[in-house]
Amino acid sequence: MVFPTLEFVLFLAVVLAVNLALTWRQGTPAPAPEPGPPAARGPGSGPGRVLPAIASRLDARKAFLIAASYWFYAAWDWRFCLLMAGVSAIAWAGGLRADRRAVRIASIAGLLVVLGIFKYFNFFFLSLGQLLGDTFLARDLGWMRVILPVGISFYTFQAISYVMDCARGDIAPRRNPFDVALYISFFPQLVAGPIVRAADFLPQIDRPYVVDTAMRGAAVLLILSGLFKKMVVANYLSVLIVDPVFAFPDGQAWPETLAAVIGYGIQIYCDFSGYSDIAIGVALLLGYRFQRNFNQPYRARGLSDFWRRWHISLSSWIRDYLYIPLGGNRGGVARQVWTLLLTMTLAGLWHGAGWNFLVWGFLHGAALGVERGLRRVPLGPLRWLAVPVTLLIVFALWIPFRAADWEGTLAILSALTRAEGFAGTVVPPQALALIAIGLAMNWLPLAMRDVAEGALMRVPAVGQALILAAGTILLFATAQDGVAPFIYFQF
Amino acid sequence: MSRSANAIFVLALWVCLLTLWLFSGEQFLDLMFAIPDAGPVDDWSLTVVVWFEDMRAGLGVPDLFSALRGAIHGWTGLG
Repeated sequence: MVFPTLEFVLFLAVVLAVNLALTWRQGTPAPAPEPGPPAARGPGSGPGRVLPAIASRLDARKAFLIAASYWFYAAWDWRFCLLMAGVSAIAWAGGLRADRRAVRIASIAGLLVVLGIFKYFNFFFLSLGQLLGDTFLARDLGWMRVILPVGISFYTFQAISYVMDCARGDIAPRRNPFDVALYISFFPQLVAGPIVRAADFLPQIDRPYVVDTAMRGAAVLLILSGLFKKMVVANYLSVLIVDPVFAFPDGQAWPETLAAVIGYGIQIYCDFSGYSDIAIGVALLLGYRFQRNFNQPYRARGLSDFWRRWHISLSSWIRDYLYIPLGGNRGGVARQVWTLLLTMTLAGLWHGAGWNFLVWGFLHGAALGVERGLRRVPLGPLRWLAVPVTLLIVFALWIPFRAADWEGTLAILSALTRAEGFAGTVVPPQALALIAIGLAMNWLPLAMRDVAEGALMRVPAVGQALILAAGTILLFATAQDGVAPFIYFQF
Repeated sequence: MSRSANAIFVLALWVCLLTLWLFSGEQFLDLMFAIPDAGPVDDWSLTVVVWFEDMRAGLGVPDLFSALRGAIHGWTGLG
């Protein structure tokens, strides 16, 4: 079940109605008692003492949101739900005793094993097959191929951060496994993020359900802008120019290839930030606040600035749980560059099990290393070049990300230097208009968004609903036939 | 205040959804048939949906959604 479908609209309408009914008579409950930080806990907080208390602490709304989230996930494949329940169980049990090194390591290793098997097994299997000539492995062990559960990278990262945060004492471990189950499975951010931190999410599930007019106004704007980015800009750019050129690069000339490369940069931005906007908006309607996941990334003044604006929840996750533990900014420049290379290569691998993603991450790490080395070089009057050079690097590196293999990448690079093509691809004016709109979204002053949000906040509830419904109907009517999955679902 | 405003918001969304269903031809029926087999409730849910669809068809309301879709696609050159 993906967001821009009638199926999800019906699902959300039911969820909002039942959620409202379940909270209609709510008072202002006292926050659930929480255990102290790990170091302060006694020996009586293990699972044996915890299980009898579970039933009394599972309130109806929490149970309903978990059930709705599992229903949402089961729409892809019900077997994935078992995996997600297993990941939640590992995180919950690991969090309870995260102060013990052995438990912490075992639970994180368990989560990494799950991710490794379901996401990377095929990659290593196929790579090994190619190395060995693809005879024995392909013929006799082909049945070992593993299907990739959608969203597994997102929820295993949330699970790992939960255990790590418990271990660091940043959050108190939850005795109630359903709290962790809701944190891992909450459907708005389940399959493509944002990667929500437990410290941000868990305190919110203890609070009474409150959605004020400001939250509804922000939600309406986020959902409509997300639907527009995905259903209009991303999907049409994909079919108008990106897919035809990347499918047959050998016959293209440089103008359409350049349009396709820029178009893909806009497509992936609108696809992913569109999903994030809808996710954050839907969560707001259910009373949960998430951090923004994108902040106009194509106006970044450098690659480090880009990564502070692009997929912010992943960038900060990687910074906090990978880059800093690996050494971060400590040591000399050479050490820092090495840490950057390693971190970004692993971040590339997170995006997908393929050599192209590995190379994409490595090249980003290398470019970040160069930027780190040049940090003290005064740019002087050349400072204005920072944005276009960053854009050039980012868009160029999207080529291996999209092309999927070396032949495709080299063919696109070759087509960028070709004066005449024979494929007959033309860049329609609609594609150019969509590219301009996508770029403009990165340059419009944020004050404009605040003005629109402020205006929507002042609209009465019935007006907010009508705007949301009318906007959604218009966007559904504008969209192309069929359902185009989000690019980041494969990650 | 906040609670009643939320109720109005959700109720208004449901009214819009019902209006969309009324004026969108067989979009909802197509959706129900596209959803994978729901097991024991599959026949029952389809019977209910078909009954509602027959009722909607009996009212003779036009498919405004498809008309809007055609107009937008024609005007923008998209679709």
